[in-house]
Amino acid sequence: MPGRVREQVASPLDAAADQVLADRAADGDLRAFEVLVRRYGPLMRVYATRVLGSNDETDDVVQESFITAWQQLGTLEDGKAVKSWLMRIVGRKSIDRLRARRPHVNIDDTDAPAPESHAPHVLAEVESETEALARVLAGLPVDQRRCWTLRELAEYSYGDIAVELNLPLSTVRGLLARARKTLLRQMEDWR
Amino acid sequence: MTERTPANRRFFAFDLDSTEGEQAGLNGYTIEQLSDYLDRNRMPADPGIDDSPDCEIALRGLERLRRAQRSLLEQDLERESRRDDSWVSSILNNITLEAHAGREIPLAHPSPIARLVVTEGAVRGMLRETGDRMQNVFVGRCVLVGDVSVPGAPISIRVDVTVFPGENIPRLADQLRDAMYATLSKYTELVVVAIDITVSDLHSLPDASAHEQEK
Amino acid sequence: MTTDVSSFDQLDALVRRVPGVAALYPAGSMVATVVTATLDAVAHRAPAAPLVHIEQRADGVRVTARIGIGATKSSGDVSGRVHDVIAAHLEQGGNPPVVQIVVIVASVWLNV
Repeated sequence: MPGRVREQVASPLDAAADQVLADRAADGDLRAFEVLVRRYGPLMRVYATRVLGSNDETDDVVQESFITAWQQLGTLEDGKAVKSWLMRIVGRKSIDRLRARRPHVNIDDTDAPAPESHAPHVLAEVESETEALARVLAGLPVDQRRCWTLRELAEYSYGDIAVELNLPLSTVRGLLARARKTLLRQMEDWR
Repeated sequence: MTERTPANRRFFAFDLDSTEGEQAGLNGYTIEQLSDYLDRNRMPADPGIDDSPDCEIALRGLERLRRAQRSLLEQDLERESRRDDSWVSSILNNITLEAHAGREIPLAHPSPIARLVVTEGAVRGMLRETGDRMQNVFVGRCVLVGDVSVPGAPISIRVDVTVFPGENIPRLADQLRDAMYATLSKYTELVVVAIDITVSDLHSLPDASAHEQEK
Repeated sequence: MTTDVSSFDQLDALVRRVPGVAALYPAGSMVATVVTATLDAVAHRAPAAPLVHIEQRADGVRVTARIGIGATKSSGDVSGRVHDVIAAHLEQGGNPPVVQIVVIVASVWLNV
């Protein structure tokens, strides 16, 4: 299941439900917060890397996200929702980074939303399916990649994606459909 | 899975660039609809999809895409969880207790220049630890109700706890309440008139079973 | 106003030595920065700065110590002793008058 990784320090809190951990962390319990960091940090890192298109800034974005989360945990009304709440924070931070990065993108790359995805046709012959998927994902336009990532990694509903990205539901459906079709089409080349 | 289509058939023979073209190649459906169909585990069965070879090809493609997505995610998570612990400590080192210190509760001292306080956050921490010393109880949120800034003013405390199934809840709550009173009277100057404990069963929390299974 | 800076520098060590004190936290401007704290803000914090905070005002000095205690004693006892130690230290010659000593118990460990 996404977001569940083996714990590195044993503590009874490791077994606690998200709600208990979120409530305790909102009350200032650093140990409970640490369990949340270990439980969802890896998924947030994967997510940030996908949205950013590279992992250069993942450390910073995830760290900032957790610092923000720690400060704002008191505003989280339903502790059970802490996972999606964390994913929203890291999603926003990632987008902020993308916006900040945009003016510096090399002019030659202007129509390449993910500058590091080069030359899809010059591939190593033995590229694994997952490698291929990672590459194709990195090449998707940012809004499609964001929708796809929210849906498939963060397990958002269409409605939640629309709220999160401030887009009409129909647009979200369109972007997701477009992303899926592109991925399907690209998969033809993997066989 | 039934092999209704030749393995060497082109993966999708439909046009994805226009809705009409898409539907024409998918027995009237769209990729989105097929994707939703998969989300529902192909239930309730739709013969219009199940009996269409083109849909079957597309569904197989979508399934393959999902498998790839899943293994990509698993690989990524596996890689991330293998990282050393420095990223965790780096996060924890950069957050401060002040964010959740809450109100300041005065402590008595004869000197006119002294202002001694214990934070609400510290009191909540004591209450949590008191619960942590007991078996089969998780103390969740603790709320101090009343004007804690007035020395000697009566306050009450609300505590949420979850317990493991099969526990004698009234007895456990009594034990916890007694232990919390003892802690508060030993370490603080608060006048606590009531400790209200709300208990929920661990299994009523959806995440718990998942975490337990990993143990 | 001449101030014996070194006597302030010793406060951290003095407070740490008070029985029952298990941790000493920065007591300075963190409260103001915490709302907007980002990595940068934290990174810019001078790590060598004394943790016991001294604020010089026109009428004298305001001292703030933020401590964690191991619960062998009550928070009132330990914070009172911390106050007394700071007061006694700053009463020694040459220091400006102390107008307030704030001791904040920010955490209590029952298991120490």
